[in-house]
Amino acid sequence: MKAYVFTDQALASEAGRFVWLEIDTEKAKNAAIRKRLNIAALPTFFVMDPADEKIVMRVVGGMNVAQLQKMLDDGHALTGGGTLAGGSPADAALAKAERLNGEGDDAAAAPAYLEAVRLAPPNWPSYGRAVESALWTLSQIDSNARAVALAKEALPRIGTGVSSANVAASGLGSALALPEEAPGRAADVAMFEKKVRAVLDDPTMPLAGDDRSGLYISLLDARQDAKDSVGAHQVAEQWSKFLDGEAAKAPTPQARMVYDPHRLSAYIEIGHPEKAIPMLEQSQKDAPEDYNPPARLALAYKAMKKWPEAIAASDRALSMVYGPRTLTVLNARTDIYLGMGDPANARKTVEKMIATAESFPPGQRNERTIESLKKKLAGMPPATP
Amino acid sequence: MRFHSGVLIALALGTLAAAPAPHKKSVLPFIADDYAKALQEARARKVPIFIEAWAPW
Repeated sequence: MKAYVFTDQALASEAGRFVWLEIDTEKAKNAAIRKRLNIAALPTFFVMDPADEKIVMRVVGGMNVAQLQKMLDDGHALTGGGTLAGGSPADAALAKAERLNGEGDDAAAAPAYLEAVRLAPPNWPSYGRAVESALWTLSQIDSNARAVALAKEALPRIGTGVSSANVAASGLGSALALPEEAPGRAADVAMFEKKVRAVLDDPTMPLAGDDRSGLYISLLDARQDAKDSVGAHQVAEQWSKFLDGEAAKAPTPQARMVYDPHRLSAYIEIGHPEKAIPMLEQSQKDAPEDYNPPARLALAYKAMKKWPEAIAASDRALSMVYGPRTLTVLNARTDIYLGMGDPANARKTVEKMIATAESFPPGQRNERTIESLKKKLAGMPPATP
Repeated sequence: MRFHSGVLIALALGTLAAAPAPHKKSVLPFIADDYAKALQEARARKVPIFIEAWAPW
């Protein structure tokens, strides 16, 4: 969004309609607002009514310019207790669902979105968003069977736009999350997989490059679920080639670096982590104060079993990282030490993770993470033979 | 777009790159990491607040 959407001149006319606030959730100073916003995934976008500080709208995940403009229009309309343009019973139901979702109440928001979908008149402009939001909230409360049923019902009606891609991918994810013995699971997975493949084969679909990358990930999940290692490798090869093409077209280093984590994952999937090294070294030069390139270099070197290089990259990342992401960098470092046969330093690193996790303020501190790290430490090999 | 995925361990290290890599500027005047300032300004101008919650990964 930062590299490709918020830079779009089509949004310039929106500047005066809102106060625009960006919150880096890794910073300790933002812990209180992070807690208040009840964030389940990143990025998440909100519209807040400043009068009572209530969230009137919440969207999880990236949007293109048109989707963002729709969110801005609807969020503006809902501020101050307003209703959505259109005035139909479906609009009223959607407004109620948006407010419940804004409060972070997935269990109440999911049936409210389903009610809006049920009431949707023909050609309702909010149909796609209502279905996508229903699918997201259903996935958050583990109602995967209901999500699969909704995605199947919505796909024929939703047309061929971006929402169809999101619904197909979300339906595939929910179908894969069902127990293997669930009736109809295999047929549903196959149907959604075909839809996702069709979206990827359509070059006119106005999807952001990283969203297309997400579709490859969905297909990879499906092939791995089917234990089809040859098919999974083919998808990974296509994914890697696609990402290299997108990165080559990126207009700025920042835009190119959006693809770094995707490319690293794809290179690891195809068994060539070494392909990530020149890319990440370039990113390190372009953004010398960013901890991400060295953190990713540590992962690439770990996959290559080049332990001293992995530790050196991890050192550089640790000198810059802050907030909860520190735990991810330390976790990779633990695996590096274990890989190189150094259980003493692996234990020390987990001990450091526990101390770091316990030092976070409310909003960043996560008791389940602390508990799981303590369990991990208890199960680790002893430091000395 | 939101996805389920069991595949991407490396993507746990994120999708967004942080400054200071050279980049095109946002056309929207974002206030960075100052909720109190945003709230005060929104109340004065009587407009809603758009919030992007993100992380530099």
